[in-house]
Amino acid sequence: MAATGTRARSSPPEDHVTRAQGSDNTLMLVLRLGGVALFAVIAFWLAFNVFQDGNPFLSITLALISVGVIIINLRHDLWPIRWMQPGLVLLALLVIYPMFYTVYIAFTNFSDGHRYTKEAAVELMGQTKYLPEGGTSYAWNVFRSEAGDYALWLTAEDGSSFFAVPEQTLQPVTPNESGDAPYNDDGIPATLNGYTLLEGGERFRALNDIQDMQFGTDEQPIGIKSRNEAGAFESRWVFDAAQNAVIDRETNTPYFANDSTGDFVAADGTTAPLGYWVPIGLQNFTRIFTSIAVTGPLIRVLLWTFAFAFFSVLTSFALGLSVALMLNNTSTGARIFKSLMIIPYAIPGMISILIWRGMLNPNGGVITTTIQNTFGWAPPWYTDPGWAKAAIILVNLWLSFPYFMLICTGALQAIDTSIYEAADVDGANRSTKFWRLTLPLLLVIVGPLLIASFTYNFNNYLLIEALFQGGPTMAGTAAPPVGHTDNLISYTFRFAFGSGGSRDFGFASAIAIFIFIMVGIMTFFQFRLTKRWEEVN
Amino acid sequence: MATTTRTQSGVAQKAPSAPLSPGEMALNAARILFLGIVVIFTMFPVIWIISASFNPTGSMATQSLIPANVNSLNDLLVNFDSLLNDPQVPFWRWIGNSLLVAIISTILSVMITALGAYAFSRFRFRGRRSLLLTVLLVQVFPNILSMVALYLLLLQIGPYIPFLGLNQHGGLILVYLGGAMGVNTWLMKGFFDSVPRDIDESAMVDGATHWQTYWYLIFPLVRPVLAVVALFSFVGTFNEFVLARIMLSDREQWTLMVGLFNFVSGRFTDDWGKFAAGSLIAATPVVILYMFLQKYIVGGLTAGAVKG
Repeated sequence: MAATGTRARSSPPEDHVTRAQGSDNTLMLVLRLGGVALFAVIAFWLAFNVFQDGNPFLSITLALISVGVIIINLRHDLWPIRWMQPGLVLLALLVIYPMFYTVYIAFTNFSDGHRYTKEAAVELMGQTKYLPEGGTSYAWNVFRSEAGDYALWLTAEDGSSFFAVPEQTLQPVTPNESGDAPYNDDGIPATLNGYTLLEGGERFRALNDIQDMQFGTDEQPIGIKSRNEAGAFESRWVFDAAQNAVIDRETNTPYFANDSTGDFVAADGTTAPLGYWVPIGLQNFTRIFTSIAVTGPLIRVLLWTFAFAFFSVLTSFALGLSVALMLNNTSTGARIFKSLMIIPYAIPGMISILIWRGMLNPNGGVITTTIQNTFGWAPPWYTDPGWAKAAIILVNLWLSFPYFMLICTGALQAIDTSIYEAADVDGANRSTKFWRLTLPLLLVIVGPLLIASFTYNFNNYLLIEALFQGGPTMAGTAAPPVGHTDNLISYTFRFAFGSGGSRDFGFASAIAIFIFIMVGIMTFFQFRLTKRWEEVN
Repeated sequence: MATTTRTQSGVAQKAPSAPLSPGEMALNAARILFLGIVVIFTMFPVIWIISASFNPTGSMATQSLIPANVNSLNDLLVNFDSLLNDPQVPFWRWIGNSLLVAIISTILSVMITALGAYAFSRFRFRGRRSLLLTVLLVQVFPNILSMVALYLLLLQIGPYIPFLGLNQHGGLILVYLGGAMGVNTWLMKGFFDSVPRDIDESAMVDGATHWQTYWYLIFPLVRPVLAVVALFSFVGTFNEFVLARIMLSDREQWTLMVGLFNFVSGRFTDDWGKFAAGSLIAATPVVILYMFLQKYIVGGLTAGAVKG
């Protein structure tokens, strides 16, 4: 291995000279390459399996990652990247790939009814069984074991008999021979393989338990058709490639595949129980912008998202700065006070939010009750949109003003005090000094953090979801319900993971892309302010 | 960049000698009143939840600030007793799960990030600037935005690598690790930049490899700072709720936050007492920790870490 300069000079950023590190000893080399080989084998194996399951994107990502890892480890000039490869692998798989995959999902109809590929959906529907009229039919007798398991003795029309246990192949039996005597008039034994024949009333009581059971294996499933008849189950849905349709064999109706919407649709417009996953182009996006039921609330949600982030930052910054200004000294009192102020910041956010939720509860929450008892009226936090929004801002003020107090304390100490002396000489009063000197200087330091906090609150899912679940609900919105205090991200996840209604991942992803773009724009301004781009070296 | 804020103590302290004018006294009174209100605002929820955890009625509606109907010490501990001894509530298991997930992801993420940050700080190579920018850019997009894709990722990996699937702590750790590189690389690079390069160079002159230099010299030097980063990373992971709730479905697999949330999540369920007791147990160590580490927190905050 070429042992050219093993040393990285302390050098200005324009020095892009690459060097090989010539210090690998053989053992390390073997270990490292062995690790890489193992990683690549696992990744390719996973990629292959995932591809077969119908996710080529993940498969390609995994393959690219392992090719990348192999290249990094075989090329000498890439040695510095070996140091960061675990991080880069994780970044690629868990941050970058999910972003691209989100974009892909946004262009598909992926949702609860459309989760599978066409083949998988057809196969799944094939598992729905029905008992066809005029199919093979048996007379049945039922047996029960000590453990309460059931089995059937089936007699076909041609006289051949079978013993059927769930999930086992049918076992041919012979009347008056199989099992243990005594045999009844039909030649059916009283006990067989540990099962006991049920007769008379017991037989009919058992019917309740066994009427929906499947006996035999999936290849030859048997079910109870009526009080006297059992029959062979058959797949209710069968795919007919010639018509590109699934046939409902119970009603003999073809449901034609519509490859642009991912549904199987019958002539009368009804759809089969399962659709499949297809690209649907811009439909999710046009749905955002056109459908009134969606667009109406979306605009209100968007406005509130901005308002919430703005007022949260404004109020918390104002309070945090005020406290920091008043405590801008090193006395013991100020130190104790600041320690107390840190407590809200230290308590896990989820717990704080739930405490507030309890205190604001209209049925016995301490704040509501106290106001009620004092003034005879309490703000309807849970039902009035305005008061709900006020409550959310108040809770967020509590959660985040300590953060601003801390950073303002730090920033105030960084301001050069000589400027105040100069201002004193010029006869500036207290408020002039604050508005003309302190605040502008402070904003230079904490400005980027204010924008970061704005971005954070723009995506503040936890507070919105845990405090009021987005409530109170907006009137006239379709399922899933949209609330007055929902922000973009909680609104999105109501579509993706909401308990009510079907989960529409495609639509949720389309909104997520929208949020990505918003965050991107805000970050751009943040970087402009911090000049971080120029700082990179 | 870790901008070190220069402390100039006693900046705003006024000369104590001059007697206060009536205007200044009014101003001082207003200031004290204002700070008093802030203290009440800040501390009231904290005191309330402490009171609730010792309140034997265990219901939000009947809670009073001084616990009522208390006849013995045991009455005060009713909530803790039902929390810790109820077979329906695997509280210790939740704590164990949370600790497991938080410890493993913290150690792995600090190790992985420190390696990367060191390389960014010391080595000059082609693509370094674009890689750094990528890391910086990627971290601004919160990973809960990709939650659908992350959920599906675990769903699809699960059948082949079971411990990285849904409802598995391994899967959750994997998701947490994904964001690690983005969040802390810049912070740590700042730490490494502040260690003089002369140390590296003299070691290399003596024939040490990059790895030896890193592991035996530089890493021990930055270990105290890394410990603080690790601590915050640990607390952040321990407190994380949104992703954990999505990825873990079984009660036995829940982390502490998911479990606590469940006590009061329904609109009509009211396990207020258990929630309060559990919250007290969960929050107290962190609060004490933060109080002791105040000065580090300020440093970390100005370097750009936002509480997640």
